[in-house]
Order: sequence, then C-alpha cells, then structure tokens
Amino acid sequence: MDPDKDNANPTIINPSDLPTRRRQSDNISSIKRRTDGGTGLFDGLIPAIARSSHAYDPFAAPLPVDSDASSPSSSDFGDDDVLEEIDEQEIYDLIAPISDPEHPLTLGSLAVVNLPDIHIVPPASTASRISTVRVLITPTITHCSLATVIGLGVRVRLEQALPPRFRIDVRIKEGTHSTADQVNKQLGDKERVAAALENGTLMGVIRKMLEGCDNVNE
Amino acid sequence: MSSLSLPSPQQTIKPLATLNPPSTARTWHTAPHPYLPLAATSSSDKTVRIYSLLDFRLHSSVSGGHKRSIRTSAWKPGTKSAGESVLATGSFDASAGIWRRWDGGVKGMKEEQDFTGGFAGGGDDGLEGDGDGDDEDEEWRFAVVLDGHESEIKSVAWSAGGQYLATCSRDKSVWVWEEMEDDNFETVAVMQEHEGDVKCVAWHPTEELLASGSYDDTIRLYKEDLDDWTCVAIMNGHDATVWWVEFESEKVVGLENQEEVDGTDDMKEQRKIWLERRENAGARLISCSDDLSIRIWRRIPRERPDVPTGQGRMPSILRSNSIEEEWVEEARLPQRHERSVYTVSWSRKTGMVVSTGSDGKVVVYKERWKQSSSSAGPTDDNGDRAMSEGRNASNGHNNTTIAETEWIVVAEMSDAHDVFEVNHVCWAPRWDKGRRSEDEEMIMTTGDDGEVKAWILE
Repeated sequence: MDPDKDNANPTIINPSDLPTRRRQSDNISSIKRRTDGGTGLFDGLIPAIARSSHAYDPFAAPLPVDSDASSPSSSDFGDDDVLEEIDEQEIYDLIAPISDPEHPLTLGSLAVVNLPDIHIVPPASTASRISTVRVLITPTITHCSLATVIGLGVRVRLEQALPPRFRIDVRIKEGTHSTADQVNKQLGDKERVAAALENGTLMGVIRKMLEGCDNVNE
Repeated sequence: MSSLSLPSPQQTIKPLATLNPPSTARTWHTAPHPYLPLAATSSSDKTVRIYSLLDFRLHSSVSGGHKRSIRTSAWKPGTKSAGESVLATGSFDASAGIWRRWDGGVKGMKEEQDFTGGFAGGGDDGLEGDGDGDDEDEEWRFAVVLDGHESEIKSVAWSAGGQYLATCSRDKSVWVWEEMEDDNFETVAVMQEHEGDVKCVAWHPTEELLASGSYDDTIRLYKEDLDDWTCVAIMNGHDATVWWVEFESEKVVGLENQEEVDGTDDMKEQRKIWLERRENAGARLISCSDDLSIRIWRRIPRERPDVPTGQGRMPSILRSNSIEEEWVEEARLPQRHERSVYTVSWSRKTGMVVSTGSDGKVVVYKERWKQSSSSAGPTDDNGDRAMSEGRNASNGHNNTTIAETEWIVVAEMSDAHDVFEVNHVCWAPRWDKGRRSEDEEMIMTTGDDGEVKAWILE
C-alpha cells in the first residue's frame, strides 16, 4: 500500500517466543470452520500455528497433529453454557497471524499485538450477556501511518470470528503513537468502520492482511 | 425519603411484535410515517423496507437506487392532501434519494384524488406480491437523486413544513435543499462548520432552526439570515461524538398533569414561571453521545429592557442585529448506558424520552417536578436522578425562585435485540388492533441483527 515503508527495519520476534496454545483446544476448533476446501485435518489449529503453511512466514513452528476438531459439544458459541470459553490466548491466536500491511510479517511477530494487551471484560451484570474484548495495539513506530488500517484489520478479524455477544474495542496502546487519540476515535466509530467495510480499496488491503487467517471470506 | 411521595411508576417494556420478515443485514434506522400506518427501515443491504404497522408485516420495498448501505430515511411532512408519500433516503454512497409513492395502495386508506393518472388501483390490500397485475401501485418511484456530498450521508431531515431537506455527511458539511417545482431540488446552503463527521441533523418543530451533532463532539445550530444560512450557536459539553440530536415538541408535555402532587400556592407559582420560561425559550434540544451521557439544552431567550417576551428573535442589547443564540445545558438524564448511546427520542405526545445504544439497552425516562427546589442535595438515590439546574441568574427572573424539574428512569430493558447492538429507537403511533387508545404510542427499536421490534410500556 505504501511504497515508502514507515519502518523499514522493524524488530521481529522469533516465533518460538510467541505465546500460543500448542495443545489444540476445542474452543479454537469451534470458531467457524474453514470453507475453502481444506482437508479439515488442521482446522483445530487455526490460526497461530497453522501459518506455517503460509509462504510469507518462514519462522512458523511445526504443526502438532493431535487435532480433535470434530468435538461437537463446543460448536456453538451462542449457547449460554459456553459463555466463558473464549480467553485472551484465543483472541491472540485469532489476530497474531494478521499480516502487517507493509511487511511480509505477522502482527504477532512484530509485537504489534501482544498477549498481555488483550483483555476480556465479562458482562457487567447478570442481566447482560455482552462481553467486551479490548485489544491494545502497539505500532512499530510512533508515527506509523498505517496504525488505523492495522487496527481496522484487527477489529474486522475479531468481528468476523467472534460471536456477536462480544463488543470489540481496538485501541492504540498508550504512549505508542503520536496521534493515538485520533486513531482510537476512528476505530471506535461504528459508522466509520461500517463504511470502511464498503470501501473496495480499503477492504482489498484488509483482505490481504487477513489472508493468513482462516475463514475470512465466509 | 421525600421521593416516596412522588409519582414514580416503575413500568415495564413489553414486546409487542417483531416486524416480519426482517432484513438479513444490519438495519440502521426506522422512520414512522407521519400519517399512515407505515414505518421505513433503512438497511445495509441497500434497501428500505416499508412495514405495515397494522399487522407488522412487510408492505413494500424501496430498492435499486443506492449503491451502498442506506443509513437513514425521513418522510416528508404535509403530503397527505396530495395523496402521495415522499421519502428521503441517505446512503453511504454519498447521495440522497427522493422517492414517491401514491398513497392509494395502502391498506385501510380511503382513496383520495387521483393525481397519478391511474396508478392508484385501489382495493388491493397493500401487501407485496398480491399478483393482481397492478404492480405500479406498489412501486416506489426514485424521483430525484441529490448529489453533492463527498462521502457517506449519515442523516437526513425535513423541516416541519416540508420546505427544506437537510442532509449531513462524513465530509463535515450540512446541506440544506429546497424543493422547487417538479422534483427540482436546489441547494440553498452548504455549511462547513464542523471539524468532523456530521452524524445527525434535526429541525426545530416550529422555527426554521436546524441542529447538527458531530464527531467533533459539538452541536451546532443554524438559521437563515438575509438569504444566508449561518451557524447561530455552538453547544460544547459532550466529551465525545454526538450521535443524535432531537428537539422536543412545540409545547412541553408530561408536566402539566403533575399538579396534584402537592398543594402549596408558592410551588404552583414557581412551576408556572418554569412553564412560562419554557414557552419563551421554545422547544428544548436533547442529545446523546459516545461519552454515554444524554443532555438537554435550553435556549436563553433574548432579554429586552421593556417587554419581557423574546422568542430569541429580538435584537440583543449587547450585540445588536446579531442572530446568534445562547443555549445552555439544562439537565443530564440519569446515566444508564454502558456503551455509546446512539439514539434518543423525545415523545411529542407524552414528553417521555427513550434511549438506546451499543449496550443493547432500552431506557425510558420521564421529567417531573422536583419536590423541593431549594434544600435538596445535589443528587441522591445513587445517582438515579439528574437535577435540572435552575440557572436563575441568566433568564430574567433574577429574584424569583423557579421550580425545577428532574428526570427519572421509568423503565429499562437489557438485550432488546438479543446480544446485538441497537442502532435506533423512536416513539411511533400504535396502529394495530390491540391499541388501547387513539393516540397510544409504542417504542420501535432497530438493531444490528436486521430486526425491527415494537414495544409497549406497561
């Protein structure tokens, strides 16, 4: 998108140092199945590890193969009895494989998204079923012009992957960006996000960022 | 415990109907028709669904005109005598549309004069797909496209007389269009006062005074001054995006029947002064915001040295010939929302207010006389009540005590649209068979789940 990269030489984290859930869990498997004709064998592994098959990621660890994707009990996030089954690690695993718009690297490996900066806030009262996911993103440099696009990519990814009972707040981590307030306001504006999703050019960029994730084009 | 003696009926919001069939995509906004049992729901699937409020079923569809989400729509007032409904739509494709449809095909409507040269077949039940070959009747005609905005239109509103249409957009501008003859709309004003997206526009019920709320956290008011529309007031106060503004009815309603509560003549006199002041100032404005607050704003009428009536049109003694107006925050409603408040609607029949937002809650509020206007603490009841400040010094009653009002929550509901966000709420006349009186109102909510629901207060 931008020929002059904001940060031509970002710090890259070794994938083996990235937090991930090695053991496949039912929770991950139950986030929408892929419909792209894949064998389904590794569905349960999406997406952090599954990226090893992605051409852009030479660092990915080998896949564990103890997939148990067919577990029927966790296939519906809408059920009340699975309300607490999504945790921060799973949120991380959903967004870490998103590609940076200007580097062939993932947001996880660039430490743009970090596990400690993901918080799930449970419903405010017993009368409510609405939980909030708060993700703070750390741009690689404080004047990164793509911070908004990255934030939008994270928000779109989570809106597509999580059940609707989650409200998704994506914000810039405090002190990491020169125009954080502006970016935050845009990312928090439902109308702007909705309109952005109807903007072909912007969606092209987002789609490319999400190529490394599963089930983006359902 | 003085509050125990006040009328505070806790009511419940009861489901009446879900409009059928719903949209499969997000719905943004629902506009009840000014005189027919219809409501128009704007959807991100680029259509407007027109539902019958008699049976809550789909009546007709407005489609084929917009290339992106339809964000909003508004019925032109005052078209009854012409026998034609006129709907303005605003879309993310940056255009506004004007649609027309002969009223003759509406169920239950008596046929009036036929201006359409035979389009009014009459006698059909007004529902879609009745296959009687008289399809023209069901068609919404895309009469005019209003181009000019550079990006998404967020809101459209007709002035009370129907002469002007206001539109606003992410391009930071507010446009006023005037309808000339033969589907010809002329741009009479382009106001670029805001520093961010303009989220909403609303007209005063009696004056040609336009309000807008914005992403820049402010509310602005405009009116025409010697053929030129200008900004006449800025209301600062909200700490985040103003999602919605709306004026109250021409006359204050809801307080007049609360007289029996207490007896002192002094208090009655104070209330009379409050009502007079409201009369002089004209309709108040209500706003809601991303900052979770809902605020009420009041005009400070212009003072003249001799005659104590103003209507805000009198020349100021300080700034002669200025048309600028002074508006102040009068009250804040009890804060019940936990996330962005997207809409607030002020009933023109009961004076009650209903709000909704991202948290999926629907909250109904009512204004009442404050029992004690002097000695009560600033807030009590765990913040359930929001006091309306007297601001006596600035309104011409310097040495008089004026009654005060307060807003209380009378009903509250969570998860109105299951776990989805609710984008819009409004009061609408009730038309179905179960209605308990001619002017009974219901609440209509519009959600991210594509559904529109009708509710009644009990």
